[in-house]
Amino acid sequence: MTYENKLIAEIETLKNDFINTTDKLIKDVKRQDKIMVRSDKRQQQEYDELQRKLQEVKLLQNEIEDTQKEVVFTMGAIGESRSKETGNHVKRVAQYSKILALHYGLSEKDSEMLKQASPMHDIGKVAIPDAILNKPGRFDENERKIMDTHAQLGFDMLKMSDRPLLKTAATVAYEHHEKWDGTGYPNKLKGEEIHIYGRITALADVFDALGSDRCYKKAWNDEKIFNLFKEERGKHFDPQLIDIFFDNLEQFLEVRESLKDQF
Amino acid sequence: MENLNIEETKYTPKIDMDVKSGTITIIGKSYPENTFEFYEPVMKWIEDYFAGNAQFETKINLEIIYFNSSSSKLFFDLFDLIEENNSKFNISINWIYDEENESALEAGEDFQEDFENLTINLISK
Repeated sequence: MTYENKLIAEIETLKNDFINTTDKLIKDVKRQDKIMVRSDKRQQQEYDELQRKLQEVKLLQNEIEDTQKEVVFTMGAIGESRSKETGNHVKRVAQYSKILALHYGLSEKDSEMLKQASPMHDIGKVAIPDAILNKPGRFDENERKIMDTHAQLGFDMLKMSDRPLLKTAATVAYEHHEKWDGTGYPNKLKGEEIHIYGRITALADVFDALGSDRCYKKAWNDEKIFNLFKEERGKHFDPQLIDIFFDNLEQFLEVRESLKDQF
Repeated sequence: MENLNIEETKYTPKIDMDVKSGTITIIGKSYPENTFEFYEPVMKWIEDYFAGNAQFETKINLEIIYFNSSSSKLFFDLFDLIEENNSKFNISINWIYDEENESALEAGEDFQEDFENLTINLISK
């Protein structure tokens, strides 16, 4: 009898322990489930929030880049407008420069940057007096000297910047009147001493200038331009770039056609 | 009993536990690589604190910006521990959240709901 009672008591204790333990287990499992559900929900909210912020950053980044491009282009246009050249001149030079850069083997990124920076090649002209800048006919020696300072002036305006685009623009402004044979200005650089950006813009700028009417001259016909280019291959211009120009002539003519000056 | 101070890292919050003033403060994100290992000294400290070192007025400030699910489990354990001592001391918990951080507010509301015996104040910054 006592033996039996003892056993029952033990079983009762076991039963209670079991109930307590299972209650605790159920509570723990419920809690665990709750934590998982809430965490999932929270993580989703946080993920959405992060995506939203990322989108905002991307938009801002585009905004900054677009603004930068516009400012650079407008600065170039200011330079050109002072010398009564048309706004399309800088657009064409930009396009020609990119075509030359890509065929020369520069990366898409660098070629695009050159395209964006090249409109500023004549920015130094804003500091040249109107009387000289817009003089019909030839410059005298003194006027020529002053006119030629626009390369140095442009470089001085842009050289302080650490931005890649403005650094590129500074190089272009500085070196676009250097010549392959070392007879250019301002530093009489020779061959590959001239940065590729400078060599490219030199060709693009001259090609467009010769084909356009200016206050001091009428536009040249294509035959005359091409003859000059052949003649100046390895003199004024990088021979490799002249070859690229003739090998891809249709591309340049297409750009010229699509960005014709409207009068 | 010594105070416990842990500096904030990229994944773990700043923790300050002060015996004299009876203040426990956890501020920051909680994404530890090993959550239970990280909080082990913290839980140990709190156990020791309540086992004979606690101030009657004890204040717990929690300002958790983001936390992972194992941290969430850890906070449940922390609140369990507080609940066990709730009758012996006057413990108030401040769950501090940024107005714009909706999920932090919701987490605070959930804890309020789960631990009805605790005084959990939701305080917006």
